Amino acid sequence: MNLRDKLRAVGGTGGTRQSAPETEDRDCRHFAVYRPAEEFPGALELSRDTLALMSEKEMPEDFDPRRILYLDTETTGLGGSGTVAFLVGMGFLTDNGFEVHQFLMRDYPEEPYLLKHVAAGLGKFDVLCTFNGTTFDVPLLESRFLMNRMSRNCLDLPHLDLLHMCRRLWKLRLGRCNLGRLEEVVLGKPREDDLPGSEVPQRYFTYLKTKQISLLEDILKHNAQDIASLCVLLNHMAELYQHPEKIRFSEDVYSMGRALERVNQTEPARRCYRLASRGRMGDLASSALAVSYRRSGQREEAAEVWRQMIREGRGGVTPYVELAKYEEHVLRDIPEALRLTEQAIIRLSEPGFGQDDAVQADQNELQYRWQRLKRKLKEQ
Amino acid sequence: MNVAQLAEQLRRDNQFMKDVTRWEVIPARPAKTAPFPDNLDPRLIPVLAQRGIHSLYTHQAKSLEAIARGEDVTVVTPTASGKTMCYNLPVLSAILQNEDSRALYLFPTKALSADQVSELYDMIEGMGVDIKTYTYDGDTPAAARRAVRQAGHIVVTNPDMLHSGILPHHTKWVKLFENLRYIVIDEIHTYRGVFGSNLANVLRRLMRLCEFYGSHPQFILCSATIANPKELAETLIGRTVTLIDENGAPMGERHFVFYNPPVVNRQLGIRQGAIPITRAISGMLLKNGIQAITFARSRLTVEVLTRYLKDMVRDPLGNAGKVRGYRGGYLPGERREIEKGLRNGQVDAVVSTNALELGIDIGALDACVMCGYPGTIASAWQQAGRAGRRKGTSIVFFIASSAAIDQYIVNHPDYLLTQSPENALLNPDNLYILLSHFKCAAFELPFADGDKFGNTQSTQELLDYLDEQGILHHVDGRYHWSAEDFPASEISLRSAAAENFIIIDITDPAHHRVVGEMDRFTAPMLLHENAIYMHEGRQFQVEKLDFDACKAFIRSVDVGYYTDADLNINLSLLDIEKEEQTPQGGIAGLGEIKVTALVTMFKKIKFDTHETLGFGHVQLPETDMHTTSMWWTLPEKLAAKIPSDQLKNGMMGIANLLRIVCPLYLMCAPQDIAVVYQVKSPITNEPTILLYDNTPGGIGLSHKAFGMKELLLSKALQVAEDCPCAYGCPSCVGPVGEVGEDGKRTAIRLLKELTK
Repeated sequence: MNLRDKLRAVGGTGGTRQSAPETEDRDCRHFAVYRPAEEFPGALELSRDTLALMSEKEMPEDFDPRRILYLDTETTGLGGSGTVAFLVGMGFLTDNGFEVHQFLMRDYPEEPYLLKHVAAGLGKFDVLCTFNGTTFDVPLLESRFLMNRMSRNCLDLPHLDLLHMCRRLWKLRLGRCNLGRLEEVVLGKPREDDLPGSEVPQRYFTYLKTKQISLLEDILKHNAQDIASLCVLLNHMAELYQHPEKIRFSEDVYSMGRALERVNQTEPARRCYRLASRGRMGDLASSALAVSYRRSGQREEAAEVWRQMIREGRGGVTPYVELAKYEEHVLRDIPEALRLTEQAIIRLSEPGFGQDDAVQADQNELQYRWQRLKRKLKEQ
Repeated sequence: MNVAQLAEQLRRDNQFMKDVTRWEVIPARPAKTAPFPDNLDPRLIPVLAQRGIHSLYTHQAKSLEAIARGEDVTVVTPTASGKTMCYNLPVLSAILQNEDSRALYLFPTKALSADQVSELYDMIEGMGVDIKTYTYDGDTPAAARRAVRQAGHIVVTNPDMLHSGILPHHTKWVKLFENLRYIVIDEIHTYRGVFGSNLANVLRRLMRLCEFYGSHPQFILCSATIANPKELAETLIGRTVTLIDENGAPMGERHFVFYNPPVVNRQLGIRQGAIPITRAISGMLLKNGIQAITFARSRLTVEVLTRYLKDMVRDPLGNAGKVRGYRGGYLPGERREIEKGLRNGQVDAVVSTNALELGIDIGALDACVMCGYPGTIASAWQQAGRAGRRKGTSIVFFIASSAAIDQYIVNHPDYLLTQSPENALLNPDNLYILLSHFKCAAFELPFADGDKFGNTQSTQELLDYLDEQGILHHVDGRYHWSAEDFPASEISLRSAAAENFIIIDITDPAHHRVVGEMDRFTAPMLLHENAIYMHEGRQFQVEKLDFDACKAFIRSVDVGYYTDADLNINLSLLDIEKEEQTPQGGIAGLGEIKVTALVTMFKKIKFDTHETLGFGHVQLPETDMHTTSMWWTLPEKLAAKIPSDQLKNGMMGIANLLRIVCPLYLMCAPQDIAVVYQVKSPITNEPTILLYDNTPGGIGLSHKAFGMKELLLSKALQVAEDCPCAYGCPSCVGPVGEVGEDGKRTAIRLLKELTK
């Protein structure tokens, strides 16, 4: 029987954890958790295209959201070849809900069995989804496979690392993006009574000495919750990618614009910039909008954005400088370029700008531009 | 004037020559060569020809032969004898013939790595082949590390990085470990004491991993001249090596001048200081355009001398780039710039600590001035080797300070010129060191029942102990790491203290900048609050020393003095290993002690006159060191006969004598041991003289001393009796000012009783 069938055979009802029968003489411990479909709204509708935009990666032709494996490990340390993943949880969507299967090594000799289950699990899916797996879980598992002289090929799946994807959208507003914080702030579901990750290794070592499985309850719960959160978070992000207007914070709207622009979604990106140009991110968003226009050769549209920023007194000297370039090189209106440069020089010497080296460098550049324009005007 | 002319002139200068105790001329030596061996990959030959190399020196040829026979080799060569060829040729040859082959190069410092890599690059580029050589150290950008791990044919690193960056993450280095063909370790003479004992254990870990990955690398080791290169190499790697120590490289004529500064106060036996003399001689070389290196023993002296020399050549704008200081604690960029300046001739004079002793390529210099004896014969020759490479005359000045060992050397130049250099001792089974690395090894790969760790005897005891401590978990015949710690982060290979202090210049409040760093043991001496810290001859005052955060904040000042801190040492007993009654009624003991060092005050010393201007107090926490010690107590009936003041002076004299004698007979550097006396010792409750290993855990010197305890005392007596001074001088019991008028007499009387 392969792993997926094995997992199926276990069966059970939503939200409860139960111990599965061990199928070999020596095996690691297996737990299964079932969560109802309502907790994962829209998850089955996740499209290949949206996911490709979010992950900036090619997705399999016959992509199916039920073929993403959500994986999270609990470990005895922070890395290095002496760190072991003693618990690996793997979750996936089914037509009826979400299943999490957790494999626990009750002592070190069970590690090869645990790894066999992991390899078998990975083998059944097309896409791997983790949180910070690129730098942590995957190299760690690679190391474990190697130490047990097992093949590491099962880890060669397209990999969605939610940490990187989340950073693109929320780093600007949140700073640090850890899973707990995202659950609280982005999903609006703070975790209660959660075991801090830093206490996990010591718990396990105590368990090794006492073999009291109840010590691991919290860890199992924490791990299952992490895995379910991965799926919820992924789908929440997909929703936002499709409907940026639903985003409530202007920082996030602007970040979404940047993210969309990275994957050449120029129009949706501009829509985000326009949305954000009224809020706290106004200067950055408008500048980004103008730059986006300029990149696609729409110089007049770009100029219009700069002009509007000048009219509204926003964006410091940048709009003046950019507009001056446009007047000089595109419209060839040297007097207007000169006028804008002079205004930039005046603005930059206003007290608000301070006198540090960067301002001084800008000022020097403006002076240089001004003199060049003067010469050009004379030559005309 | 060139060197030959200058030497001629000095020899006619009677005023100078009256203080020269020996002028040794070491004649030029021709090259001894051998043809390229047949097994050398033919693609290497044209590249060598481009560099003017058409044959090998004999020591290079012999190394290549031994390596081809599959032996581990140790090559002993002086500076500039082309030793890099001894390893680069076999390594490149092996990779050219099988592109899967890998090699690991270990250099003691980052600076040396950088140097060697550039030489390798040149050769590889010259051949136009795709051999990837990468440096992997703390400066390697994170983005580049992946490429190094995957594709580096030759990985150049240092023991520290191997220890903490590579071994604990070995699963990321599969390619390297599976295909490791050669391990090259250069400058192995630097791996003595703690550093060497650590490296030996790092290598035990490395070999354990190679075994796991199924590779069987060969070692190629290089050493400067020391007494026991074969023994050192074999202790380091735990295997037998083939020694190659005949140098086939040519050398130009060399003058070695021993200079003893004149006595200025005959009653007190005080000589003119070595620093003013060095200033004059280095200044003379500088004026004559003779490119020279001046070695000083302390960082402080380096800075003082740099300032003096810079003042001589300062242009109207105050620039004096022709003179540079160089020592540990300068940042890498600054060091590279100085090294380059020396090579291309932009720098005329450099003043350095022993940091430039190692094989960093600074080109051939014409002259070397040693301000004081560097402490070992091996170091002295390394320093002297900086002057004069393959052809042309060069000159070395040894300027003796008033320190006893300097006086001994300058009056017995044969000791330096003919005596074999020191032994490099290390003790891989030093329990402190062994245990730390054993933990790392257990972290890296679980031990199985019956496994061995290198050639250490105590594998099973260590496993049992760690199992008991709950750090390892024994199940089904294997010991698994079961602690959260990352054990490699708990060890620093170079000293007991893990963290260095960083030095931050806060002169410009808008731009704080890091100007250097310093180890934890030295920091209280040089970076206490109100210390004058000198960097490239510029003065800074330490404004604040944040001991917990390991940061010192300094501000630029210009004052006419420098500071010198007083170190207070306290000893306490941890464990007695052996105690013996001596025939004279005293006790000789051996055991573990704790040495507590505390800086309590400092002196302000005026430039030029070197007079003490004042004192200041220092409030800093103590630093602890556990080490091994041996001691002699004075028989009660003997001590009782002597008034306590006189007893104290006599014991101080004996301690001084032992400081001179012990390094010579234990074959170690003076700084490797410490000798103290206690009139009423808290350890023995008797008047006691203690000698201890000046490195955490000890490297076996106290054990060695215990084995020759009678000999050491009789040699001390002989030095005191042979010395012509009446009441004591720095060359025997110490100056009269310290030991008093009865010091020498009492020391001799006590020693006679003790050796009766």
